[in-house]
Amino acid sequence: MQRPEQGDSRALEADWGAADRSSSTGTALTSDLPPPEVRANVPAASPSLRPVRPGGLRRADARTGAALVTPAFVLIATFVLFPLGFAIYVSLTNWPLIGPYHYIGLTNYRDLFQDPVFIHTVIFTVTYTGIVTGPIFVVGYGLAVLVRRNRLGSKVFRTMFFLPFVVGLTTVSYLFTIELQPDSGAVDFVLSKLGLVSDSQAWTVSYGPALLAISVIVVWFASGLTMLILMGAMQAIPDQLYEAADADGASWWAKERLITIPLLRRAIALSLVISVIGSFLAFNQFFILAQNNQGEETVVEWVYITAFENYHLAYGTSMAILLMIIIGLVSGAQFLILRDTTEL
Amino acid sequence: MTNIALPLPSTAPDARAAAKRAARRERGRGFYLYLAAGTALALLFVLPLLWVIVRSLEPPVLTGQPPSVADFTHMQVSNYSILLGSTDDVGVNVLNSLITALGTAALTVLVSTMAGYGLARFRFRGAGVVFGAILVAFMIPFQAVLTPLFLELHFFHLLNSLLGLVLIYSTFNLPFGVFVMRNTFSQIPRELVDSSRVDGAGVITALVRVMRPLVVPGMATTAIYAFLYSWNELLQAYTFLTSNNLMTLPVKLYEVMTQQGTSGVLNYGYLASGCVIAMVPCMVLYMALQRYYVRGLTSGALKG
Repeated sequence: MQRPEQGDSRALEADWGAADRSSSTGTALTSDLPPPEVRANVPAASPSLRPVRPGGLRRADARTGAALVTPAFVLIATFVLFPLGFAIYVSLTNWPLIGPYHYIGLTNYRDLFQDPVFIHTVIFTVTYTGIVTGPIFVVGYGLAVLVRRNRLGSKVFRTMFFLPFVVGLTTVSYLFTIELQPDSGAVDFVLSKLGLVSDSQAWTVSYGPALLAISVIVVWFASGLTMLILMGAMQAIPDQLYEAADADGASWWAKERLITIPLLRRAIALSLVISVIGSFLAFNQFFILAQNNQGEETVVEWVYITAFENYHLAYGTSMAILLMIIIGLVSGAQFLILRDTTEL
Repeated sequence: MTNIALPLPSTAPDARAAAKRAARRERGRGFYLYLAAGTALALLFVLPLLWVIVRSLEPPVLTGQPPSVADFTHMQVSNYSILLGSTDDVGVNVLNSLITALGTAALTVLVSTMAGYGLARFRFRGAGVVFGAILVAFMIPFQAVLTPLFLELHFFHLLNSLLGLVLIYSTFNLPFGVFVMRNTFSQIPRELVDSSRVDGAGVITALVRVMRPLVVPGMATTAIYAFLYSWNELLQAYTFLTSNNLMTLPVKLYEVMTQQGTSGVLNYGYLASGCVIAMVPCMVLYMALQRYYVRGLTSGALKG
């Protein structure tokens, strides 16, 4: 009878087994070699000389492993998995925020498809996504091309292009509420100096200008993230490919089109999916910058308003479930696109 | 943009000469074009962020007027002293944000490190289930479960509580953290761990003593993402916190912004100084730990 905490040798051999198996199943990064100084630190010990006793080892192994993942599993089960099931149940009831409720089947979902206001928020969110996705990608790609090589200033430029994203959309939105004010805001000031607007514009109060302003702000905010994702992938392309193209006298655009973009498919898909999901889930920028604007509510904003301001908790929940299904389809499409791409 | 990197064969004897030639050619028209475009764009990206600092130092009279030279000659800190002073105390909200963000970072790092270690180094029944659960959590946006979370927190008496917020924030940061930590542990050569075990170290001792230098970068990545997420989060904090003295900074700033009715005209100077207080920690953290942030972007998002 050996207690697990005394059996260091057991644990040792257990770890050997686990590590062997994990390397044979081939996790994404096990093939990456550690830096040389790490390898040099490994003393020349020979643990394989110890006798192996498989039965008890596995059990200690299993206990330790299970104990280590338990807190993570408990948190995820409590605050993701259970709420997910609960949300589906709530969406099948007429639950107000406070008070009695009962099961009403799929009524909420049927109502959703006939609810002009909800349909409007969906169309609005999709429109907004359609407006910003292309520009975020194009600007991000351009920035990545500009700074992908390590030369004078490229590190500083990268940092600066990414700073708006680091600051976060909440703070950025507050900041632009100030600068989008008519008469006193810097946006009007700069645009009139450039001769682009003749008189002051109340950006956040009317539909078109608010959507335009928010879209421009979001492109400015998010293109740095696309830049970093694409740049990382660009730097992984071997120089030899470009050298060969140079030898053939290929133009810059030919190299970009025939070498870079095909090899970037994974990263391009990833950056587009991140950007599309982010736009579908848009909340902060519209909640803050278009707060007085009827008709400019995104789906998430409308979920909040329905559930917590109009006290139709169940109805709001059914909206959230529908949104999640749409996003699930987008994520699913991501995996399909990523699955059969040729690895370099 | 005509100059693409020339080959730099490291073994060839004339490599250095070739590199020099390449560098000289680089300093041509294309290079200066790159420098000019980069500088102009960098200003475009950073100036709005720097301008709010100037804004926050304006006296109230100038806040309602278009930008001018006077903004730079009349700088004063009254916005900050009023905002953080006794009348409109945002100080407590900054403290709430700090507690929440640090608490989330600490809990996320602790739980992710344990789970990452468990999943990377041990084989046990149920590992597949746990991995599946983490994958599901990775794909579920918190917005989808906002309403049941509200009911659940109410049931646990964690509504209107920073602890409740820390638990929720940590949970939604876990999938990313576990992926990062699992990758981190898989990268550590097992000989290193095993040799320490030979010397008589237990599971925890091995983790703490031997692997620490190799694991800390992964922990830093996890921590910085969790911190920035909680520091900037608005919707959940707005939904789950109601009492004024528990609000985090983003929620309080929404109050500041919409308070127009009470005191007539809203002083945008307060909002600007609130923005600066919210912005500076993010910038400092990012600049100091940029390496770890970018590492997370490539190892966590792309490979997880």
